[in-house]
Amino acid sequence: MTASKLLRHETILAVLTVIALAVLASLSDKFFTPENLLNQGRLMAEVGLVALAMTFVIVTGGIDLSVGSILGLTAILLGVFWKNLGLPLPAAIVLALACGTFAGWINGFIITRFGVPPLIATLATLALYRGLAEGISEARSVRGYPEWFFFFGQGEVLGVPFQLWLLGLATVIAAVILGLTPFGRATYAIGANETAARFSGIRVDATKLWIYTAAGFCSALAAVIFVSRVTTTRSDMGTGLELDVITGVVLGGTSIFGGRGTIIGTVLGLILIQALKNGLALSGVKGDGTIVVIGLVLIGAILAGALFDKNRGG
Amino acid sequence: MKKLTLAALVGLGLMSGSALAASAWTGGDDQPTNPLSCDATPAAATAKPYDGGVPTNPPDRKGKEITVVDVPKLIGIGYFNATSKGIADAAAELGNVKAKTDGPTKANIDEQITFIDNYITSGVDGILFAANDPVAIAPVLKKALEKGINVVGYDANSTPDARQWFVNQAEFNGIAKALVDSMAAEVGGEGGVAIVTSTFTTPNQARWIAEMAAYAEKCHPKLKWLETVEAQEDNNLSFNQATTLINKHGDELKGIFGMTSVATPASAEAVTQANKCGSVAVVGLATPNAMKPYVEKGCVKSVVLWNPVDLGYAAMQVLRAVADGSLQPGATSVKAGKLGDLQVINGSEILLGAPYVFNKDNIGQFDF
Repeated sequence: MTASKLLRHETILAVLTVIALAVLASLSDKFFTPENLLNQGRLMAEVGLVALAMTFVIVTGGIDLSVGSILGLTAILLGVFWKNLGLPLPAAIVLALACGTFAGWINGFIITRFGVPPLIATLATLALYRGLAEGISEARSVRGYPEWFFFFGQGEVLGVPFQLWLLGLATVIAAVILGLTPFGRATYAIGANETAARFSGIRVDATKLWIYTAAGFCSALAAVIFVSRVTTTRSDMGTGLELDVITGVVLGGTSIFGGRGTIIGTVLGLILIQALKNGLALSGVKGDGTIVVIGLVLIGAILAGALFDKNRGG
Repeated sequence: MKKLTLAALVGLGLMSGSALAASAWTGGDDQPTNPLSCDATPAAATAKPYDGGVPTNPPDRKGKEITVVDVPKLIGIGYFNATSKGIADAAAELGNVKAKTDGPTKANIDEQITFIDNYITSGVDGILFAANDPVAIAPVLKKALEKGINVVGYDANSTPDARQWFVNQAEFNGIAKALVDSMAAEVGGEGGVAIVTSTFTTPNQARWIAEMAAYAEKCHPKLKWLETVEAQEDNNLSFNQATTLINKHGDELKGIFGMTSVATPASAEAVTQANKCGSVAVVGLATPNAMKPYVEKGCVKSVVLWNPVDLGYAAMQVLRAVADGSLQPGATSVKAGKLGDLQVINGSEILLGAPYVFNKDNIGQFDF
């Protein structure tokens, strides 16, 4: 994969994003203010964190539909550990993160050990984890967290929302791992041709296990931030998150067949979607109209990418 | 590897087994209940100091045109179409209000928060809302108050300090009494009843169920609660859940409570399709139009509601009064256009009136 081919979709996407930002800024003078932009950054942090891990997952040719349910389960477990079991909140947070990561590990385990296609396996765990969340919580929400906990979701460091710093750090780490390490190379190899990767000595199962575990961890982290932002836990949190995440990742140029994708593309995809959702709402377009536009943009971006990638052999 | 798999399975089993048994009726919240008396004695009014939120430095909006956005739980169902109409009617009557209804297409709190957030940024003067979750919606509403935006809720409350006033369609215990009395009358005072609600954490449904449990325990102790299921204001899901209840409990099920305007007609349809009209009673909250076919066939005897068009109308009138400064904390009543004077109860709630029972005799008169 040469640099020019790699950048093709991402360049189009970058241009599209800039155009979209310019158009939206002209439609509403409240859109391009630092306050609004930082606020949107805050709102997209949860989807962003999960999308970083999902990029790895989709690059290997797999998919993880259970991320929303893992988010809901972690959120509920956080409440249960803190309120019902009486653990101190930091311990509850760590334990909830561990459980979410474990849930991701189980996904990876089912996929690698039993050879179940990722779509089926994560579809099953989507239902399993959501059911666990509802059963454990009995759909009672947990409230009354201490003030310091709200810093993660609502606080700021140097004027920038905390979760945006977290997202930035995670983006850098993810980009370095995917682009510059052997682990990243192995990820691309698995997605391009899994059998060949296995025969060239790459530890395919271990890599996949790490990736799905990471997806679980990122969902759990997003859950902690989300609970901190809305100050309550509910068992239906994160419903539909997987669709937003996958849209962002695919828009960013990651091929659903695997073997192709970058972190920078995912980031651009997420920015474009968030900007559209926010900018259109600010310029008076109602909710349903925004969904239509995002659908059209997704189709347009994929088609544009496919058109310019004529040289690639599927 | 086998041991690890076994350990993982046991762990998962333990996690799911930690769901403890619930007390009273599932789906109720855990706030104190106040059941009314079993006969028709009205409840004593409680006076409470104002406990609503206060906007920070609101601009002087007296007499000026204001832009208002209404963000209900979800858009696209008959009930919120009716409240939206009421809001539009009031806006037209007042003449100096530009009102718009916008909201998520699913009753999802995350999306509702994002909608409100966007409208705060776009600089509206007033926000009307019906919350999907009372606590989760509080931070974004407080943000609105901090920006000097007037915030009034209707139908489903938030925590009191996140909004200035809440227009309550009817007292929670009044609705509970009307529902349970109707059910008891139809099933003969005893039998198994099940509930189809939206979600267990939706504020108004949870409050009603808690009050219903308390009232039933007090006045109709022979009614046996079987199960509460969630149907999220979704038509198909409500129908499926009701059908499951009928199949699961068989002859033990004598009545189904529909707690949302979507669940009640769906439950009536499920009962009709299971050929159980007359043996399974359906009592619930619903718009008259949705229930007319079932009431006329005799499958459903009574439908409890208030007038949602009036609810939206009152909410808009209250918001205008708040923006103009004519409704201040500590007031005991507010003038709401054609509805006359509405009473202030519980500190910062405004009561629309008593619940209304629609039945075969009067349902034809209504069209919403």
